[in-house]
Formats: sequence, C-alpha cells, structure tokens
Amino acid sequence: MMNEETPMNEQESLRLITDMIAKAKASHFHEDGTSAILWGSVVGFCGLVHFAEQYFNFSIGFDVWLLTLAALIPQVFISIKESRNRVVRTDMQMAMNAVWTVYGISVFAMIAYINIIPHSSATLFAESGISLFQKNANGVVEPFRAFALSGSSLLMILYAFPTLVTGLARRFKPMIYGAIACYVFFFISLYTAAMYDNLLAGLAGIGNWLIPGLILRNRYKKGKSC
Amino acid sequence: MFKELDPILHSQLRLAVMSLLIGVKEAEFTFIKDKTNATAGNLSVQIQKLKDVGYVEVSKQFVNNYPQTTCKITPVGIAAFEAYVKALQEYLVPKN
Repeated sequence: MMNEETPMNEQESLRLITDMIAKAKASHFHEDGTSAILWGSVVGFCGLVHFAEQYFNFSIGFDVWLLTLAALIPQVFISIKESRNRVVRTDMQMAMNAVWTVYGISVFAMIAYINIIPHSSATLFAESGISLFQKNANGVVEPFRAFALSGSSLLMILYAFPTLVTGLARRFKPMIYGAIACYVFFFISLYTAAMYDNLLAGLAGIGNWLIPGLILRNRYKKGKSC
Repeated sequence: MFKELDPILHSQLRLAVMSLLIGVKEAEFTFIKDKTNATAGNLSVQIQKLKDVGYVEVSKQFVNNYPQTTCKITPVGIAAFEAYVKALQEYLVPKN
C-alpha cells in the first residue's frame, strides 16, 4: 500500500513514475470488441443474404439491409454500458471515438444520398423537359429512371470528415460548426442542380476550412506575440 | 548544484497519482485508487493537496445516483511534473 510518508530516493521515484505510467497505459485497451462483432455480423449477414437473393432469384420478403437499422438499438445500449464502465479517458480514445462517430454520420449521409438523388434527379430532369426512355429486350418502350451523379455532394461528405474528427478530438468549436455547415450544404445539394452544388461546395470549403483556418492563424499570432 | 525536488511531488502517493494522470486525459477516483492500492481516505487527502497547488483539477458529478469523482492533470501540473523529472535526471546523471 502506498503511503505519502514513505521516504523515497531518486531511483525509487523514477521507478514509481515508470510503473505508474505503464499501469495507466495497460488500462487503455479495455474495449471488448462487442460493437465490432455486432456490426461485422449484421453487415456480413445482410450482404450474404442480399447476394443469395439475387443469385438464386428468391426474396425473403423485406429489405434485409433494414437489419442494420435494428442493430442500432443494441449499439446504443453497448455504447451506454461502455461509457459507464470507462474509468479512464485518453486523448487517443477521444480521437478514436471521434473517427467512429463521424464515420457513422458519413454512412447515414451516404444512405441519404443513395435514397434522395434518384428522386431529385427525376424532378430536375422533368423541370428541364428531359424524358428518358428505355427499350426492353421484348421491344416494349418504358420510362427510364436515370439519375445524375452529384459528385460535389459526395465530396462534401469527405470534406466534413477530417474537419469534424479534428474538431471533436481537439474540442475546437469552429471546426465542429464548419463541419455541421458542410453537412447542411450536403443535404441542400441533394435537391439542387449541379451548378448550385458547386456553389454549395465552395461555401462548404469556406465554412469547413477557411474560417477555422483564419481563427487558428489569429490564435497562433496572438500566442506568438505573448 | 542540484535542484531541490518539488516537495509536493516528492511523496510516494502524490507522485503515483501524477504519474498516472500524466498519460491520460482524465481518470476516475476509483481507477486511481485501484492502481495505487491506496485507501480512499488517504488518496482523497493527497489529491486535495495536489488540487490546492493547482496540479490537478477535480470534478464531482452524480452518475446513476452514485457520486463520481474525476481527476485531470492541469498545465501547471504538467510543467511541475516535467520539472521534477528533469531534476531527478540531474541527480541520477550529474553534469560535469
């Protein structure tokens, strides 16, 4: 048992410091991998079942990928439990949490993109008076639902990723707000024509990097002059 | 001439607490108690001493109706710890 009265020489002090740093280090890796096992199982199962449905031409009667939404429920409980059991927090953990949180937001944004873009494209084509048709192998001609790839929208998800991770890990609010603005521009861009997507991408760049960069520069200058 | 070792840090339990906190962002009281193998009373007194000199920040909150005490090393504490280690090095490897 440690006692503040026990006298120490220099070697003992150094040994104590080394031992305690090693003990703290050994406690960093306490995650039991539950979340990784959950998502690996769910996504693996969904992918294999969806492949089997298409390859063997059958249907299970519902979209198997909906199971990923159901998996969010146990994930919430796992996260709460892990948070309660966490007795030590490190900068590395904060950074890793930020990476996985932003990854989750990005996946959500990609799903929104996949679901919204075809509808938006159809509306924009209709407004421009463009109608596309396809001729099937049996000679029947029917409307073709094409969609325009919105590259700027996809890039905005990538723009926000490192900014939000850095903002969350370093608790730097301008980057957090910049990344949130970037996600807002991303969602707006899903409903706008390509010309406006470029405008939104430009605004995203300003909010995401330019403004936080200027704030950082200002702080750096102030720090240097002190 | 040897630098005098910081008397606040040159104590077994206080140095152990600081050494634990130097490598982490923050740690709960129970974690520190577990790693130092100290009694809760003694540890509380030593953490209070570290807090009084501004080496650590202590925050108390209730989580699920249980009190939770979290400790975090401050920039002053980091500077003091670094100075202590530097002074130790001088003792162990004296300059010619």
